[in-house]
Amino acid sequence: MTEKLLSQANLERLLSRLADGGAVWVPGREETGDVAIMPWLPENPVTLDYRNFLQSPKVFFFPQNQTLLRFEDGKSKEPILPEGEVFLFGVRPCDARALTVLDRVFLGDRGDPYYAHLRQRTTVIALACTRTMASCFCSSVGGGPGDGTGADVLAVELAEDLLLKAQTDKGESLLSSGADMLREAGEAAVEESQERIRNAESQLARVRTEDSVRRLRDAFDLPLWEAAGLKCLGCGACSFLCPTCHCFDITDEVRGGVGRRTRTWDCCAYPLFTLQGSGHNPRPTARERWRQRVMHKFRYAVESFDTPFCVGCGRCIRSCPVALDIRTTLRDLGA
Amino acid sequence: MSASREVEARLRETAEKLLREKKVSVFLGYEKASLPFRTTPLFLTHAEEAERLAWNPFCAVNLAVYLPRLFATHVGVRDAGTAAPPAVGIALKGCDMRSVMALIQERQVRRENLVLVEVACAGIVDGRKAEKALGGREALGAGEDGQGNIRVVVDDGSEITLQREDVSSEACRECRYSASPYHDVMVGVPMEGEKADGSRRRIAEFESRPLESRWASFQQTFSKCIRCNACRQACPMCYCKTCVFDQNRPSWIGAGTESSDVALYHLVRALHLAGRCTGCGACERACPVGIDVRLLTRKLCVEVEELYGYRPGEALEGIPVLSSFAMDDPQEFVTEP
Repeated sequence: MTEKLLSQANLERLLSRLADGGAVWVPGREETGDVAIMPWLPENPVTLDYRNFLQSPKVFFFPQNQTLLRFEDGKSKEPILPEGEVFLFGVRPCDARALTVLDRVFLGDRGDPYYAHLRQRTTVIALACTRTMASCFCSSVGGGPGDGTGADVLAVELAEDLLLKAQTDKGESLLSSGADMLREAGEAAVEESQERIRNAESQLARVRTEDSVRRLRDAFDLPLWEAAGLKCLGCGACSFLCPTCHCFDITDEVRGGVGRRTRTWDCCAYPLFTLQGSGHNPRPTARERWRQRVMHKFRYAVESFDTPFCVGCGRCIRSCPVALDIRTTLRDLGA
Repeated sequence: MSASREVEARLRETAEKLLREKKVSVFLGYEKASLPFRTTPLFLTHAEEAERLAWNPFCAVNLAVYLPRLFATHVGVRDAGTAAPPAVGIALKGCDMRSVMALIQERQVRRENLVLVEVACAGIVDGRKAEKALGGREALGAGEDGQGNIRVVVDDGSEITLQREDVSSEACRECRYSASPYHDVMVGVPMEGEKADGSRRRIAEFESRPLESRWASFQQTFSKCIRCNACRQACPMCYCKTCVFDQNRPSWIGAGTESSDVALYHLVRALHLAGRCTGCGACERACPVGIDVRLLTRKLCVEVEELYGYRPGEALEGIPVLSSFAMDDPQEFVTEP
């Protein structure tokens, strides 16, 4: 598949065509001035002027509250899965890559039908980064500002156009459906896109992660966990904003004979997460809980899935009320 | 040289001396963080590392939040409770000091184990406001200039000055008195005098709006909440060993973001802080999605002040207002079922 060009003036036309087939979400400016992904409305302009969304788009695939099934008089009813196609435009490469992490968890031997359904019905058009944030480190965890992994189409913003490249069959068919608006990208456009991505790449912080498994294997009792544990407030903002965190809890809400089973996000920063029925808690303080977070992402995940469960989006760093920085922990692990 | 630089030097001297003379075993302060507009808490234990201590307009965390847990014994931790409680020095802004006073009054910390170092406060910067004020540019570094404004180096290589007033934390804009009447050591020159409580103006403005508009505002605000617990965890007055929201036998509240659960979370939190919130704004600055979580807590504190003439964090002795009962307490607000 070769690269195509879409004039930015035609973006709304393309979105409008997508909207005939499903719900379209685009980057838009909120009243507060933040750019968030929101339903596309012809009267609201799409903005390309943002670095990333405050919240990760994982909610489209793994919602914070999800009704798994309803039951009545001891009989369960089939879950009602949301219908219709969804198109997400403007997802950043780190967040698209995060979907491949969630895929490993939810689409393994025992596939999660809820996740699978939401993943199946959603088309992701990622927008490459031409600017970075001080908290970004995607290229240290296998990604990059022009990485199309996890997306169906990767777009790169050029001066006048968007350069589009299909990453999957779904992406191919999206591009062929808009073929009348697209033209072949010449060498100059491809070169311009690469130059923009290289420029973004050069701004990124480098973090040593490649040997994290080995370094974390001998790190269980390092004093740095104590130091981080003292600071960590245990709020869970890092985990709730993380595009790869996927732990959840399941609760039955019953009234009379009628009820529902819901899935909600859970978080390893919370004491309740590991509290056992006996009253014993194997991770009694923030020290053990913060260690688990780092170990899970950079050791256990790599051992089990060959990839860190971190895409370097930096949300945990920006959102931490006490400015704990996972990059600092990885650096301080020592040789 | 900015005023905070001089204060920073005095603070380092103070902490160094306290640690060297073994008056304290740990000194809680701030140090430079990895991102601009931020600092990170520092648990300093070696006098020779006092140079790590920072004091600048980005010292946003209310360090009093750590005190109850420093004296608490963790259930399930081996040897917990056998170690002697630490002697703690702590750097506090005026509002943070009021939190400590409230904690002492509520018997959550050991006064005799504390050296309370108040640092003269000219208000702090809300990092989120500062980021927004950059108009899409990314800060690479930030500091205070001689006038107290914030100089920022941004990613296009240029330098920008942000007016302090524009990026001040909301709590600081509403601050009634930046100095505390009580401390062991004062670093810098405290601001004298008392201003009007700025939150009253905001509450009055909110209350003047029609019911539908207020309800819409609550719904819009709460729809952003992701039910992490940052506001609760950043608050020094939220020290319950098991929060009502963490109880699961039974669960009093759903864990997710359905509107009734979110509203219940914020309403219960505000009620539990009635007459206890000292208005430091740590909750609001901790919120990762920028919710104005102070409106409700301030409103209830204003109510308590009007009903009982009580302001939290102003006395060490006496019974906290909601723990006391008098036959002549006003009760007009009590409604018949």
